[in-house]
Amino acid sequence: MPEPNRSLAPPDSYIYTGPMSTIGRNLNRFALSLKSPENRKKFLAGEDAYMRRFALSERVMAQVAARDWTGLIKAGGHLQAILKIAATVGQGLWHIGAHNADVPVEDMIAMCPRRVTGLPENF
Amino acid sequence: MARVIGGFGVSHSPSMGYEYDKGVAGSFDPRWRVWYDGMQPVKKWLAAAKPDHIVIVYNDHLNHFTFEAYPTLALGVAEEFPQADEGWGLRPFPSLAGDTEFGWHVANHLVRHEFDLTICEDMKLDHGVYSWMPYVAAPPWPAPVLPLAVNMIRHPIPTSQRLRKLGVALRAAIESFPRDVRVAVIATGGMSHQISGTRFGMANEEWDRAFLARIERDLDRLVEIPQEEIMRIGGTEASELAIWFAMRGALSDNIRRAYDFYTFPQITGCGVVVFDEKAA
Repeated sequence: MPEPNRSLAPPDSYIYTGPMSTIGRNLNRFALSLKSPENRKKFLAGEDAYMRRFALSERVMAQVAARDWTGLIKAGGHLQAILKIAATVGQGLWHIGAHNADVPVEDMIAMCPRRVTGLPENF
Repeated sequence: MARVIGGFGVSHSPSMGYEYDKGVAGSFDPRWRVWYDGMQPVKKWLAAAKPDHIVIVYNDHLNHFTFEAYPTLALGVAEEFPQADEGWGLRPFPSLAGDTEFGWHVANHLVRHEFDLTICEDMKLDHGVYSWMPYVAAPPWPAPVLPLAVNMIRHPIPTSQRLRKLGVALRAAIESFPRDVRVAVIATGGMSHQISGTRFGMANEEWDRAFLARIERDLDRLVEIPQEEIMRIGGTEASELAIWFAMRGALSDNIRRAYDFYTFPQITGCGVVVFDEKAA
């Protein structure tokens, strides 16, 4: 696994912008609904039925079912929103990061903090 | 008239909060014990400073605000500010109190001086505030807070220069409050960190320490660094450091560095720098 570079482009970094927010509108609404304990229960009782209330695409629903965190971020899901889905299914930030970097969770935990150096230009 | 007595900049993170809860329950992770110990002098400083009001410039993480209406700048004016449930349930802390007389004064002053904030009478606070708060104070909380939320989670985010000016305007708002009260200004944002992409978990201690050193006397230079450059070297979420400029902007040049501390437990650079106003 190479050390972190300086790239702000995918797959190194995902900068959350307005257009991503527009694409991910329904996904984020669904994900953030899981902040409520009652909704977490309802979702876990029947993931597919619960998700259908939010007009998600078949592709996004399949990505949720597959816990494809990277795919959900690319689909406009905000990390902080996707984190609510992960929390509901017993995962967390480490799982998302490991999935993004395509390494096992234990490896990612062992790797962090991933130290880099460097100051802004002419600083 | 009211006086700004000093303030501090401090990191926040979800793990800072739940590692505290685990720690005080009996088993501090050694990496977080370092942060806990390092924050004790800040707790002492706050107790000795005895502020009557605490202004907190912070950012929410989709825990109170959602994209249906996500304000770029929002001020909470309410009697209390409960915790937001971030999906794991509430932590065992009482709500922070607010002071609406002070809050409306600051709201009036800021809007009349061209900072047109959204005013919120219902504002739940997430780990942006509640993660570090127990490290610096124990309930009953020492003073009412005035939370000012800055959008840092979806670009465009406010510029560094704008947040510095917000701090300057905050100071003027505080100083025009017609009561003899002491006000501390706190700003909070993560230091170097990135929580998505293959760069997940990057940690630039060199940059974080330079930031802590230079925010005291080199604000002109710091606010000129493109935010994108900070994101390149410190991770995409290091952009939250811009919030610290509001705290520094609210302080004068007649300050003394009372304390600073830095460590990197896991995914987020954890730093704090405390300033006293010499004249206050």
